[in-house]
Amino acid sequence: MVVLIWACKGSNNDTIPVDNFFKTQDKAYYRISPDGKSLSYLKLHDKKLDLFVEDLATGNSIQLTHLNGKNISFQFWTSNNELIYYTEDGSKERRSDIFVINKDGSKQVQLSANEKNRLRVIEDQLIDDKYIIVASNKRDSTVFDVYRLNVRNGKMEIAAKNPGNITKWMTDSKGVLKIAVASDGVNETLMYREKENQAFAPVITNNFETTLQPIAFSEDQPNILYAISSVNRDKNVLVALDLKSGKEKQVLFANDTLNVVDATYSRFRKKMLFATCETWKREKFYLDDSAKVAYSIIDKLLPGTEWVIVDKDKTDKVFVIRTFTDKNPGSYYLYTAVDKSLKKLTDVSPSIKPEDMNAMKPISFKSRDSLTINGYLTLPKNKKPINLPVVVLPHNGPRSRNSWGYNAEVQFLANRGYAVLQVNYRGSTGYGKSFYAAGFKQWSDKIQEDVNDGVKWLIAEKIANPKKIAIYGNGFGGYIALNCLYKNPDLYKCGGSNSGVINLFSYLKTFPPFLKAKLQMYYEIVGNPITETDYMRFASPVFHADRFKAPVFIAQNPKDPSVNVAEGVQFIKELKKRNVQVTYIEKEEGPDPVVRQQSRTALYKALEEFLKENLGKK
Amino acid sequence: MALDKKSSYRKNFSLGVTFIILISILFILSLFLAFNYSKKSIENDFVSEKVNVLEQSIKPYNDFFQNKMPEISYYNGYLDSSTASKFVDTLMLKYPFISKVTFYDTEVKNVPVKDGINANHLGIGPKSIYQFGKGVKPDSVKLYSEDDTRSFNVGSDFNAIAIKLATFVEDLDTASVPTQEELFTNFSIVNSNENKITYLNIPRRADLRVYKDMIRRKLNPAPVYPQDIMVFKLDAHRIKIVNTRPSLYQTIRIEPLTYDPIDTSDENITTEIALPGAFSDFKLYLISSKSYIKKEIFIYFMPIALILLLVYGVLLLVAFLIYRNLNINSKMFKLQYDFVNNLTHEFKTPVSVIKIAGNNIKSAPVLSQKEQQLYGKILDEEADKLNGLMNKLLAFTQIENKSIKLNQEEVNIVDFIESTIESHTLKHPDFKITYEVSGFKTFITDPVLLGSLFDNLAENAYKYSKPEQKKLHISAKLIKGVLVLRFTDKGIGIASSELNNIFKKFFRIQNEYNQMGSVGLGLAFCKELVNFMEGEITVKSKVGSGTEFKIVLPYNS
Repeated sequence: MVVLIWACKGSNNDTIPVDNFFKTQDKAYYRISPDGKSLSYLKLHDKKLDLFVEDLATGNSIQLTHLNGKNISFQFWTSNNELIYYTEDGSKERRSDIFVINKDGSKQVQLSANEKNRLRVIEDQLIDDKYIIVASNKRDSTVFDVYRLNVRNGKMEIAAKNPGNITKWMTDSKGVLKIAVASDGVNETLMYREKENQAFAPVITNNFETTLQPIAFSEDQPNILYAISSVNRDKNVLVALDLKSGKEKQVLFANDTLNVVDATYSRFRKKMLFATCETWKREKFYLDDSAKVAYSIIDKLLPGTEWVIVDKDKTDKVFVIRTFTDKNPGSYYLYTAVDKSLKKLTDVSPSIKPEDMNAMKPISFKSRDSLTINGYLTLPKNKKPINLPVVVLPHNGPRSRNSWGYNAEVQFLANRGYAVLQVNYRGSTGYGKSFYAAGFKQWSDKIQEDVNDGVKWLIAEKIANPKKIAIYGNGFGGYIALNCLYKNPDLYKCGGSNSGVINLFSYLKTFPPFLKAKLQMYYEIVGNPITETDYMRFASPVFHADRFKAPVFIAQNPKDPSVNVAEGVQFIKELKKRNVQVTYIEKEEGPDPVVRQQSRTALYKALEEFLKENLGKK
Repeated sequence: MALDKKSSYRKNFSLGVTFIILISILFILSLFLAFNYSKKSIENDFVSEKVNVLEQSIKPYNDFFQNKMPEISYYNGYLDSSTASKFVDTLMLKYPFISKVTFYDTEVKNVPVKDGINANHLGIGPKSIYQFGKGVKPDSVKLYSEDDTRSFNVGSDFNAIAIKLATFVEDLDTASVPTQEELFTNFSIVNSNENKITYLNIPRRADLRVYKDMIRRKLNPAPVYPQDIMVFKLDAHRIKIVNTRPSLYQTIRIEPLTYDPIDTSDENITTEIALPGAFSDFKLYLISSKSYIKKEIFIYFMPIALILLLVYGVLLLVAFLIYRNLNINSKMFKLQYDFVNNLTHEFKTPVSVIKIAGNNIKSAPVLSQKEQQLYGKILDEEADKLNGLMNKLLAFTQIENKSIKLNQEEVNIVDFIESTIESHTLKHPDFKITYEVSGFKTFITDPVLLGSLFDNLAENAYKYSKPEQKKLHISAKLIKGVLVLRFTDKGIGIASSELNNIFKKFFRIQNEYNQMGSVGLGLAFCKELVNFMEGEITVKSKVGSGTEFKIVLPYNS
């Protein structure tokens, strides 16, 4: 009887605490040994993350580390018996150590100690049984050079010196460094060398609107690179690029309506397995029948769920798979190809119950200039989709989009009874180059109109209560929210911005003036403060405090060096002076997770209160 | 007893007089105090209210200084001449006290500048200088550019703020976060001697760090940061003075701080208060003539005086009403006393006759038949008289309390009047009664009550007539649906001053006719009867020639 009452209570009043939504602990870092026999992972033990290794055959686990005051940033297998792990301490300089350890914990070698520089792994496969390829900024803290790290004695010898503009390095399947991507912030140049003793030669240069993302070298054809490319195309396709000529040799996957976002290559099978395209959600397209046979089993085992391969062994037999859906932040699974079995390793966020979450559905509508705009609508469950209060969440920018998947902010708002509208306004990525470019310098015009058109569509569909619509966003989303709010007082009841851009001048000032190329790119996307001063003034909400009438929610971190806090405070003062109801939250961000969580809880509680006050009333 | 009464009246009177004198003194005293208070209060206001005048007048300046000027920082150094010009235009429209604005489009570089300030490797120099203002001709808007460097003035406001920036950067502790106020004061100069404010757009923390780096070493590539400096020339005389109390301050002027005229005649009183910020060389000078202040005092005093007067009036009225009530009550007391007196008399006569008769019967050894009859008749008559008296008193109280019920019987008016005449002429053979009836023959009423009414009126007519004039004329007419009965006699009449009182209980006109056998109930009783029968009774009379009672009764047949 008591249980029954509790159950009833639970279903009527199913408000989930704020913290549960945001408590994601994606710190598993599962890695599989090259022979597929052992699984290494990080696990919380006595409130500290430590490294463990599990023997997959026996199921026995061994704790390898007993760290104190240090965090493991990453770990990986260098051979069937050895692991490398990289730790950072809690100090301001984040001093780092690198260790090599046997999988039974027997032999541990410290490769470096108390380094102030950062290290990234480019190639974790052992070359000559002793080298791995890493990138480090130990020569100059602003640039990463490539080194060969000897895992036997910790010695590093330079493999390639970064002239300062190389942002990405890539090796071939044998660990030979062959690709460097140079960038001036706007234009990216793909550079190639056939042999390590040669100099890099430019292959192709593209501007920032165009994608050219190297995936893998072809093993059977020399000088051929598989890459996701939108060179001379609107959408991303998967191509085989001839590195000698810079021309496309073959198009592996292309579709006029689909945009390739990811592609998976198997060194074992020596071929591209599948391309992942994203429309409203991600979808796999198998490029090979044998791959289809092998991997569609996972699709069948995990229906309605998206999955990505996190790690696999050398022979494609054992996989660590990460899944997710709109209602579930996801889980890690161990998939064994031989017996086609799936074993759950851990949930990313145990506090989330998928059955309590709300479905994120794709929508699309026509903008006033007849462009098809896509977006997502999350409706609160247990409520009729009629006349609902709505929170519009324009996404951050300028190079971003909303994707299908678990979104803590969306689920939190939907759980509080709001329909949540996300609009992939023009300028969003993932819908082709022309759609992306259509958003340039439209931040205060067509981009906002797209969002408004989405709201009007929702009203026309009778889902939205036209008197209860709020708009809220982070970063550029906050910028759009504030602009939409004051320009459309009849559409929005209230609005909010979290670390939002309130002044385009200040935003562009965050790029130091010597990054001329990068500035030029942002001038093109956002606007030019030197030649278009008036437009920039018009487009920045900070200059229009006098036009705000509706209640405003503003959150910012007063210590954020990238935000001109003084400006935000001045803006809020001006609003308050004009009797605009302002809820101002000062966020605290820092390395301390407890402080961060408290600050986040305070922020969302305040937001909840703000929305309730302004949308809750009859 | 009469003496007692008189002395009590005299006592009341003296009390009243004392009371009136006391409250009058109080009234005058409070008026005086109120006037003094008003005067003090206005004089205090004159001195203290200037703070409000200052606050209201300087509000636009504060708004400009705290809110509008920092807006320059929003541009983050990207202001150009056309945007600056627009910005200045809106400023000048809103804040008339800004007379001229000089705009330095400035660059902070890592190379030395020719014009401007160099701090080691940090160079702060203008790219171009513009001036905006009402008197500025279009061709002299641009004062300086890198091609035309002639008009750059080394001692200008530019160098002052540039030095301030360089000093601030040099002393900057890059680890700490400077406060909002710290930044504001460090990047603005308020020059009250020349009424100028210089404002530099506040650089971001990251920029300040680079500036500090730029002082120490040459960066590669050498950065150039835009900064905007604006110098506002203000004119104190164009501050719009807001006189918050125009009735208090006749004129308010803005004068230099040192202004102190000698010809301070006794006619005017003055006060002053210094202006803040860039205007601190000036003050508000507030003047009013004495007569002007007097008027204000009077305006302040008037409502207080009126309220006092009202209180005084109400007190007087209350005193008067108390006096009047006391008077009426004492009259009532007198009437009741008279009634008891009369009633005693009325009862006394028959009682004493009965006593004498009783004594005679007791003391006579033998009663002859004649004597027995005589005493029997006397006793019977006197008992009847007593009974009648008591009935009358009883009936009256009953009627007054409405405790009896009205009988409804058809009455023939002619028969009724004739029987009344008969009974009265039997009692008083010298009473001559005539009557007339027109318009109706019968009507419905209570014959007993009507009889009482007729008897009382006839009795009065007889009683208050001179012996040879004992006449009564009764007329009964149906006029416009109501019965009108008139009893007209040729009696002594009633003085018009008494007419209002004759229907009151226990009221009797003091004269020779009613010394005996009257209690003053008759007419009051008649009025109660008529009221009970839902009619009206009125009287017309003239002293010496007679009285007419008119009774109007509802007619129902």
